Amino acid sequence: MLAEIINPYYLQVLSFILINIILGVSIYITLSTGQLSLGHAGFMSIGAYTSAILTLNYDFPLVVGVILGALLAGIVGILIGIPTLRLQGVYLAIATLGFGEVVRVLFINWESLTQGAIGISSIPHFGRELVTGLRDTGFTADMIGIRNNQLISLLVFIILLVITVLLITFFVRQNHSRVGRAFAAIKMDENAAEAMGINITYYKVLAFAQGAMVAGFAGALYAHVTAYISPSDFAYHRAVEILIFAVFGGSEVIWGPIFGATFLTAMPELLREVSEYRYMIYGIILVAMMAFRPQGLIDHEMIYKIKSRKKKKKKVEDDKKERNRHGVGS
Amino acid sequence: MRKSYKGLLSIFAIMALLLASACSGGNETSGDQSGDAAKDGAVSAKVGVISWLTGAGAGYGEAITNGLKLANKEIKEQGKVDIELITEDSAGKQEQALSSAQKLMNSENVSAIIGPTLSTEMKVVGPEADLNGVPIMGTSTTAAGIPQIGDYVFRDSIPESLAIPASIEKAIEKYDVKKVAILYGNDDVFTKSGYDTMKKVAEDKGLEILTTETFQKGQADYNAQLTKIKNTQPDLILCSALYNEGAVIMDQARKMGIDVPFVGGNGFNSPEVIKIAGDAADGLIVATPWFAGKDDQKVQDFVAKYKEEYGKEPDQFAAQAYDGMYLLANAIEKAGSDDRDAIRDALAETEGFEGILGEMSFDEEGDIVMEPTVLTIKEGKFQLFE
Repeated sequence: MLAEIINPYYLQVLSFILINIILGVSIYITLSTGQLSLGHAGFMSIGAYTSAILTLNYDFPLVVGVILGALLAGIVGILIGIPTLRLQGVYLAIATLGFGEVVRVLFINWESLTQGAIGISSIPHFGRELVTGLRDTGFTADMIGIRNNQLISLLVFIILLVITVLLITFFVRQNHSRVGRAFAAIKMDENAAEAMGINITYYKVLAFAQGAMVAGFAGALYAHVTAYISPSDFAYHRAVEILIFAVFGGSEVIWGPIFGATFLTAMPELLREVSEYRYMIYGIILVAMMAFRPQGLIDHEMIYKIKSRKKKKKKVEDDKKERNRHGVGS
Repeated sequence: MRKSYKGLLSIFAIMALLLASACSGGNETSGDQSGDAAKDGAVSAKVGVISWLTGAGAGYGEAITNGLKLANKEIKEQGKVDIELITEDSAGKQEQALSSAQKLMNSENVSAIIGPTLSTEMKVVGPEADLNGVPIMGTSTTAAGIPQIGDYVFRDSIPESLAIPASIEKAIEKYDVKKVAILYGNDDVFTKSGYDTMKKVAEDKGLEILTTETFQKGQADYNAQLTKIKNTQPDLILCSALYNEGAVIMDQARKMGIDVPFVGGNGFNSPEVIKIAGDAADGLIVATPWFAGKDDQKVQDFVAKYKEEYGKEPDQFAAQAYDGMYLLANAIEKAGSDDRDAIRDALAETEGFEGILGEMSFDEEGDIVMEPTVLTIKEGKFQLFE
C-alpha cells in the first residue's frame, strides 16, 4: 500500500521546493528591514561548502556540519552587514552582489580545499547516511514494505519538512514580537524608528545575519541533498532566483516568499508536458505577474481581506445560529 | 498561531494535489510493459533521455536528441529491438536533472537512461541511478571520475584524459616540442579538468612548462596572458578552452604574431572555431572521437541521413548520441528483456562494437575504450593530422 503512494519523483520535487522555501524565508528576513541583498547565493555557498568539507574531509557528523555551515554563514553575514549598514537600496544590492562574486571566485581559486571549478562530489547524502544508520539499528525499508530508494526520499522529505515548519514558525512568532515590530518600523521609516528609540544598527545587522544564516543553512541542506556542489551553482543567477521568490510571491508577509518559492519551483515540473515551451510559459507568467501585481501576489491587503472575509463569514453564521435559536424560541 | 499552520498545510496540500494530477497520466501507462516478445520477437524496452533542451546550452541537447532519434528510427526498422524514448529536459541544472531522473526511474519505470548532457549533472544523477540499479550512459560527459560513480554508470564519450594525451603526443612527434605554455579557463569544470590532464601529460613527457595562464568564462580580451606567453617563446601552446573563447584566443594570438600550433581539448573541437577565427584557426590540433570526413561508408551514410533529416551537419554530440543509442540497443537485444540488471551486464560486456566513432569497448569501470582521431585545422578545414 505505502509502496505505491511513495514516489521518489514527487518527494524529490517537494524536497527542492522545501529548500527553496527556506531560501525564500532567508531573503524575506533581510527584506523585512528594507535591505535588498543579492548576496544570498554567496551565503548559501558558504553554508554548502563548509558543511560539505567538514563532513567529507574531517568526518564531522552531518548535523554538526550543517549547523556549523549555517553559523559560519551567519558570522560572515554580521561581518558584511556592519560595513554595509549605511548603504541602501540599489547600492546595498550592488555591494552584496560583489560579495557573492568574491565568494564564488574564492571557491574557484582555493583549489586545495574546494577542488576549484570541478566541484566537490560524493558529499554524504542525508537519506543514504540515515538509511545506513538505521540499518545498523536493525530497521530496514522492507519492514514497512517499501523499497530502499523510497525510504531514502521519504526520510529526506520528512526531515526537510520538519525543519521548514520549525523555521517558519520561528519567524512568524518573531514577526509578532518586539523584534518583528522593530523590523517593520525600520522598513517603514528608518529615521522615525530611530526617533522612537529603536537601535537601528542592532536590528539591521540582526536581520542581515539572520538572513545569511538561514541562507547558509539552506545551502548546507542543498549540498547534502544533491551530494555534489560546484562554484557555478552559486553564481549570480542563483542570487536573482532567490530574490524572485520574494518579488513574485510578495515580500510584505512571510507567506509571499513561501508561495513564490513553491510556485516557481513546482511550475517547471508541472509544465514538463509541454517540454521545450515550458520556460517560455514560465517567463510569460513572470512578466504577467509583474505587470498586474508589482507588489507580489500575496501582500498585507490580501491577507487582511482573507482574514476579514473569514470573520464576516463567521459572523454571518453566528448571526444565523442566533436567529435560528431565537426563531425556535419564539 | 493555528491559522498559520493551517495556511502552511493548505499550501502543501495544494502542491501535492497539483503534482499528483499533473503526473498521474504518465503513471497509468507504466508498469505493465514487462518486456519481451511484443511483436515479431522484438525486445521492447523504455529508455529515458535527460537532455539540456531549454536555455543557453539547448544546442547540445538538440544535437543529442536528434542523434538518438535518428538511431532509434533505424533500430526500429531493423526490428530486433523496439525502444520507446522518453525525453525530459534538465535545463542544464543539477536539480532539474535529478528531478527528471527520478521521474523517469519511478514514474515511467524506464529500463535505462541516456544522458544527462553535462558532467556536473551526471555527478548528481549518477549516484541516484546507481542506487536504484538503473543503467545510465552519458554521451557527452567527459570530466574525470564519471564511470567511477558506480557499476551502473557508463559513458561513450571519450574523456579528456584519453583525448589530450593523443593530440599532445602527435604534436610532439611532428614539431619536436620541448617547451610549452598552458592557457586555460579556471572557472569551468570542463576546461579545468582539461587543464589537469594537460599539465600531467606535459610533465610525463618531460616538457618544460614555461608559464601557466588562466582566463574566465566570457572574457573578451586575452592580450595580457598572450603577451606573457609570447615572451616565453614556447614551441607549442596547450589551450584548454571551449570553442567560443578558444576561437577568440587564437585570433588574438595570431594578430600578436604568435604562430606556434595550439593543442586544444574536446570543447575546442567545433567547426565554429573556423567560423569565428577564420584563417587564424589554422594550426589548431585536437583529438576527437568524431571526424565527419572519415573515409568510412557508415560515417558517410550517417552524415547524409542526418543532413536529410535535420538540415545540418552532425557534430560530435549527435554522433556520440547516435552510437550511444546503438550500444544500448545492442545491450538490450543481448539481454533479451527490459530487465535493468540484465541490460547493465550486457552493456558492461560490450566489446569491439563497430560504430561511427570507431571500435568501442567498455572497461571494467564502464568507461569507453577507443582510439581517438587527431585532427588539425589547415586551410580553413578540419583534416587528419599526420
